[in-house]
Amino acid sequence: MINNIEDEIREMVSKILEVPVEELAPGVDFFKDLNVDSLKAIEIVAAFEKKYRIIVPEDDIPKIRNLGQLIEYTKNITS
Amino acid sequence: MDTRKIVVTGLGVIAPNGIGKEEFWSSLKEGRSGIKPVKRFDTSGFKCKLAGEIQDFKPEEFLESKGLRDLERTSRLLCSAAKMAIEDADLDINEKNTDDIGVCTGTTLSSLWNVAEFNKGAIQDGPRFTDAALFPGMVMNAASSQVSIRYNIQGFNTTISTGYSSSIDALKYAIDFINLRRIKAVLVGGVESLSLVNYSGFYRLGFFAGIKGEELSCPFDKRRNGILLGEGASVVVIEDEEYALERGANIYARVNGIGNCFDTFKMGKYHPEATGLKESIKEAMRNSDLDVSEIDYIPVSSIKSMIGESFSAGGLFQIAASVGSMYESFIPPTINYEVRDDDCDLDYVANKSRITRINNVLINNYGPGGSNAAFILSKWN
Repeated sequence: MINNIEDEIREMVSKILEVPVEELAPGVDFFKDLNVDSLKAIEIVAAFEKKYRIIVPEDDIPKIRNLGQLIEYTKNITS
Repeated sequence: MDTRKIVVTGLGVIAPNGIGKEEFWSSLKEGRSGIKPVKRFDTSGFKCKLAGEIQDFKPEEFLESKGLRDLERTSRLLCSAAKMAIEDADLDINEKNTDDIGVCTGTTLSSLWNVAEFNKGAIQDGPRFTDAALFPGMVMNAASSQVSIRYNIQGFNTTISTGYSSSIDALKYAIDFINLRRIKAVLVGGVESLSLVNYSGFYRLGFFAGIKGEELSCPFDKRRNGILLGEGASVVVIEDEEYALERGANIYARVNGIGNCFDTFKMGKYHPEATGLKESIKEAMRNSDLDVSEIDYIPVSSIKSMIGESFSAGGLFQIAASVGSMYESFIPPTINYEVRDDDCDLDYVANKSRITRINNVLINNYGPGGSNAAFILSKWN
């Protein structure tokens, strides 16, 4: 189950950012390393919210800066 | 306003019957139609099935594939046509001249696809889960802005949405900018893309050929019974002649006269006396260097017979066609002309193009909403 969520999220982010899955190491910074702009960030959040039917509070968004944090965040929310 | 001499130096076309100026011109010359059964959406609920759809367009041939995901169809079409036009004009856009170059685009219906998709999401998933990525493409000036962003054009960026006359109105706006000496060169574009929304809308208003007759785009023919919708993008580079000469550009033609006029009659009805159109033509003649006495013969041709009604992009397709006419010495035909109508008794260049030298072309844009515009393109020597 846990692995499934990880794979799902990695695939979702890879599709939106047009970055191959293998380049998406958990610690790679979305903004510094992958040049994600605010629009892309919103797109990730929107896709994430739609997939898991949850609403990410505004204050939580800036805390998620890489894939590892996003996966961790999802695990906390879905557990 | 000090009037500058303005010339056309570049061209990019994505039309239903040809991608790129060469293919477009040869299709026009041979009277090849771009009308075909629609593939982009399901037309089984309609009596009509045809449109001037662009089916063999591969945006990755013009634009980098990374980032295409975020670009809706209208922006893909316009950015690709703009790229062709910039290359054709051999215009090097850099930090030094970026403020001297602008973008002006005519479009009206082109964002409807994204609007519809966004709303579908709102209905299906609820307003909190709509697709944020669709939102930037939901505004009318999205495509025009994408051109500026992609090619780093900073002079100005404007979208003109005046329906059927948008193309020439956009051109006029750009010309005024050059005359005011606020800019030296402008990418003037026209773009529309087919969507279920505009197809269904025009169908429900009863505008389509095929509802009450043959489903055929046959202007001036007795069987004509409405329009067939088209799509595509056409971009021309116009510039101050002085600037064009200074940078050694290849000049296609010169902008001679232009005029526009709104006639207030009734929503969805042409003015019975065509007062606005007449006034537009007169204005275009007045500010050209032509005299009515110099015009001895006027053949009338409608390229809509081959590409359909492309609405706000229509005028730019006509300009692209007219540049080809002058350059390759032919008048494109009005195809599907078979049954004569006594009310239409002019020379329509029926079915076959005519080989002849062309020095001046008058282009008219007008629609049943009151907007009218006319433009004279002349040979540059």
